[in-house]
Amino acid sequence: MKCQTAEISLSHRSDVRESVKEKIIVNQNKTLLLLLVFIMLSFIITGIAADGAGRAFSGFLDLQFRPARLISDFMHESGIGASLINAAAVGATGLILILVAKVQLSGAAFAAIFTMMGFALFGKTPVNILPIILGVYLAGKLVGKSFSEYIIIALFGTALGPLVSMVTVELGLTGLSAVAAGTGAGIATGFMLPAIAVSVLHFHQGYNLYNLGLSCGFFALFAAALFRAGGHVFEGLMLWHTSDSAVLIFMVPVLSVILILTGLFSAGKKSLKDLIAIQKHTGRLPSDFMDLESMGGALINSGLIGLIGFLYILLIGGDFNGPTIGGLLTIMGFGAFGTHLKNSWPVVIGVIAASLVFGKSLTAPGVLLAVIFCTTLAPLAGAFGIVTGLIAGFIHLVLVHQTGAWQGGMNLYNNGFAGGLTATLIVSVIAWYRSRNSEFK
Amino acid sequence: MKRKDLILHLIGEISNFLLESDPRRLVISLHQEENGLHLCVLDENTHTEDELKRIDHALNSRKRPELAGYYGSMTGHDMLGASRLNLLGWQVKHCDVSSIGSGIKIDIWLGGDAFQNDQFTIPKKKED
Repeated sequence: MKCQTAEISLSHRSDVRESVKEKIIVNQNKTLLLLLVFIMLSFIITGIAADGAGRAFSGFLDLQFRPARLISDFMHESGIGASLINAAAVGATGLILILVAKVQLSGAAFAAIFTMMGFALFGKTPVNILPIILGVYLAGKLVGKSFSEYIIIALFGTALGPLVSMVTVELGLTGLSAVAAGTGAGIATGFMLPAIAVSVLHFHQGYNLYNLGLSCGFFALFAAALFRAGGHVFEGLMLWHTSDSAVLIFMVPVLSVILILTGLFSAGKKSLKDLIAIQKHTGRLPSDFMDLESMGGALINSGLIGLIGFLYILLIGGDFNGPTIGGLLTIMGFGAFGTHLKNSWPVVIGVIAASLVFGKSLTAPGVLLAVIFCTTLAPLAGAFGIVTGLIAGFIHLVLVHQTGAWQGGMNLYNNGFAGGLTATLIVSVIAWYRSRNSEFK
Repeated sequence: MKRKDLILHLIGEISNFLLESDPRRLVISLHQEENGLHLCVLDENTHTEDELKRIDHALNSRKRPELAGYYGSMTGHDMLGASRLNLLGWQVKHCDVSSIGSGIKIDIWLGGDAFQNDQFTIPKKKED
């Protein structure tokens, strides 16, 4: 009898715990949904205010069929308004897919939406990402997986959007045949991604946050080789918006403050406590800070990362444009999924040190983007310490200057590609070194 | 993934976690049925209440198909660094963590939609 009572009380406690957990998740979903919709609407309104509705929307339509390989700052050709509307459209596409797949809005989803919106300022468009998403969906169907199981791969896999644009507008095809070829290439690309993404995860064992960057880079190597074999020459693109604009300068700090305030209002002091707790995680994939700590702590972390990134660019006199704002949005997104201040700074210092050693300007596009995106390697510093982080950052800068050309600029997450190779090298060495002095001889 | 591979990875991750505290004895017991399995792991190390809570939280975290289907492939596979019980927790049907005096007992149940509780010793929920 006593035993039965204890069992019922235990079961009751577990039910209460489940119901509290459920309530927290429902509230988190609601808050994040409202926040993301608010951000997307703000992008559209800001875009219209910046360029006028007519120019912004016609620019938006125009950039759907433009080359999108690295580096194609959409602001340079189509304007700020068109780029912001495109970012909102790409973000909305991701959000709708998440809602349709009934996936919980959490750190991973938040990172995916922010990354998609960021890269929609310089490469992703609704037209070039949809075929890839369809390809991932079909791959899931083939192996009996639901779309929800592959949705992260589908959303991040849109890094290869420029491959679709390239086939459509750069190979000399015209009309329907161009659209059909681009769509077909996108579907085939997406179809391959789940297999590659899961396999390359084991290369670096989760120490490269942008795993789809490595996956897409790996795939793009083969695609670029194929195009080159067919006689295509990849001409370098460097469309880089440079003119100052108050909208662009203040966009990230305003967004950061909104995230911090949302985090503070969601749980007050507990959010601050969770922010401190987040700094203790290694950040290794998959570290969903909203799940491991709380949404409030993760949002404050994201906001702080955004503010520090903004201050860095301001301090060195870098440009605020599509790629740099896109980079800041990406690292803010990953502020809920692996990146935090404590695990990031050694890698960033490593990149800065390498650029100084090799005499590269800190404001040069490649270096500036590497400083932002090198935080893909933050888990290495989080798990193996400051020195490992510094070395990783140093190697990363050297490598990232080469990888873009290897893959023809078709993989937007070029830093994720270089970061994945760097992490693989470092993880291999650490694993090998740990195998010394086996205890049983 | 074949059932044998899945079991190997689950055992790998859970034993990786328990072996971090270097127990003198570790017992792994497996019971398989057509639509599910029960894995019971015991060690003889002392674990604090907080530790038990953390293990329970990680293993009984909410099911996350979007993470399990992708990052779950690292379960029991990539062992450089600390073990990650949440990878395992996303994939299982139910987990129980209990102190057994001189050690810990972790029960893990796995199964598909046709999983039948009756064939296992899984505790029934109140509404069952």
